Amino acid sequence: MPYNIAMTSDFFYPQPGGVESHIYQLATKLRDRGHKVIIITHSYQTRHGVRYLTNGLKVYYVPFFVIYRESTFPTVFSFFPIFRNIIIRENIEIVHGHASMSSLCHEAILHARTMGLRTCFTDHSLFGFSDAGSILANKLLKFTLSDVDHVICVSHTCKENTVLRAALDPSMVSVIPNAVVAENFRPDPNAASKTHITIVVISRLFYNKGTDLLVAAIPRICELHPSVHFIIAGSGPKAIDLEQMLEKHMLQDRVSMLGPVRHEEVRDVMVRGHIYLHPSLTEAFGTVLVEAASCGLYVVCTRVGGIPEVLPSHMTVFARPEEDDLVNATSRAIKEIRMGRVRTDKFHEQVKSMYSWTDVAERTERVYEGICRGERVGLMERLKRYYGCGVWAGKLFVLCVVVDYLIWVLLEFLFPGSNIDVARGWPQKAARIGEGSARRDRSRRREEVLVEEENVRS
Amino acid sequence: MFATSPKLRVRSPSPTTVEFTVTTAPRKILARQVVTWSTVLLRLLACSSAVLLILLKYYPSQAFTLSTHVHTYIHPLLQYISALATRISWRCLLPCVIASLYIAIFAPGYTEESLLVIRDLGVQISTTTWGGRRSRFIPTSAVRDLWIHEGFCGFGVRFYLAVVVEGEEGVVVVFPTLLPNRRILELVWRGAKGCLYEPRRVGR
Repeated sequence: MPYNIAMTSDFFYPQPGGVESHIYQLATKLRDRGHKVIIITHSYQTRHGVRYLTNGLKVYYVPFFVIYRESTFPTVFSFFPIFRNIIIRENIEIVHGHASMSSLCHEAILHARTMGLRTCFTDHSLFGFSDAGSILANKLLKFTLSDVDHVICVSHTCKENTVLRAALDPSMVSVIPNAVVAENFRPDPNAASKTHITIVVISRLFYNKGTDLLVAAIPRICELHPSVHFIIAGSGPKAIDLEQMLEKHMLQDRVSMLGPVRHEEVRDVMVRGHIYLHPSLTEAFGTVLVEAASCGLYVVCTRVGGIPEVLPSHMTVFARPEEDDLVNATSRAIKEIRMGRVRTDKFHEQVKSMYSWTDVAERTERVYEGICRGERVGLMERLKRYYGCGVWAGKLFVLCVVVDYLIWVLLEFLFPGSNIDVARGWPQKAARIGEGSARRDRSRRREEVLVEEENVRS
Repeated sequence: MFATSPKLRVRSPSPTTVEFTVTTAPRKILARQVVTWSTVLLRLLACSSAVLLILLKYYPSQAFTLSTHVHTYIHPLLQYISALATRISWRCLLPCVIASLYIAIFAPGYTEESLLVIRDLGVQISTTTWGGRRSRFIPTSAVRDLWIHEGFCGFGVRFYLAVVVEGEEGVVVVFPTLLPNRRILELVWRGAKGCLYEPRRVGR
């Protein structure tokens, strides 16, 4: 049965990033399967209003006030009138929020529950428990997630983290990993240098991406292996530290910094290398690792977060997130590559069979089926759930929910739903259900494996 | 005041001319006349009483000299207004009077917006409100396209019909104040496109 789904997040194109591409790919594949999907995000400098992407995906860029790194200011209620209007005109049944740092997503889930819709939330990131920012973020997450139908996490580590942060019942949390479009990341054996080994680093240069580790490790690796070259792509506040390091050790001829690269150019950069180095300090999934392996690169990465779940062990060398171990692991990888013991040429086919967006869409669809079968909860039941959130927080949350409910009643009175024009859908092809049967078998097999893994973990 | 929900009227006096009018005025001529005159009357009444209030506040003694000249029926009313004027302070009175004057003058009566399409000549978009009539003509050579799209407007998303004009940055919105619903817009869009571009005349 086709559903009408609204994906809501602060993060969407034109801003590049992992969450953005996840939403886009998932929405596209769900549309291919016959569902109607729209995306609600806040407006960007160059883009506001209602837009259609080239494949007919409809995006609402809601005019909003942005505070920090493209997150909107949490106003709790101000989004409700516009949100309700969009939901009614598009006949939405399921609201699917993405990313825990996005206040737009939390607000949307709250309002959707008030309106009696089904909700789903995908968590893309890991958080700590100790610093003030995390505590606040976790409280907010707990607020939204105390009344959500289902939660999807991108890795098992992420699931563990989310369950702890939001005090959820693990049975209502599913793990559906990200995927890559393998066709866009084909290897090119002739692009890489034959004479020396090139190590590629592509990441935003922030603290949490481990740029400091990189700054410490590069001079040592260069000293140990005179024929190794580096290519670093990406931008961020830590770029200046890298530049300083290059000047101090005079490595300009061996380390080239490309600056920011567009997502579609990432592949062309990747195929120029032999090894992909990923020194991240925290990572929920790490799509870029899959992309690198798909391009036929041997991956050196830190053993943090969900990274160990991403790739099979013959494609990766793990390091602890510290300078010495990172240097050791890289040296090991260089040795392996030199001796020709890694069959990087086979990586692409293997990755292609492991990760596909169609598969992700199918599994997400199963989540939707599950939440649509569930019972609807009344206002009192919801209030009980929120009240259990904490001594003070519980009362505050209940107050918020009651106010939200009253606003909804007021809106129903001021702008009756019957006055809202229903939008026409994009003309769609018939759903391609039969086509994915082979793939479905495979994904079922993988699901079983995942269930087993889960049992082992618990 | 007395406005109904927007309705569409289509007139096509010749095969190459169509006029689409969206209006909030009542359809019947008589009803429309009654509404028009009663609004005018109400506006006049509001304006005159506001002015009178100010006058009596400024010259409180004039109330009696005035009342000797006018009919005895108005006398108690005048006295009442004068008493009111003396009781209310300037600080309170002035904003109230200005607000009521503003409403009386600028409150919309009915609004009528139209799109006149004449083949080989162009399209004319006009808006008629209580404040007057504004219109804009766009020659066919400058019209690149007509489309229906959605946009954020106040607390929601609304459909609008727009004319894309050659060499202009924004689009020209047709029916900008009324923003009628999608059904009406689709009728207008089909009719206007048909009249402008179809090889033979398409009736509407």
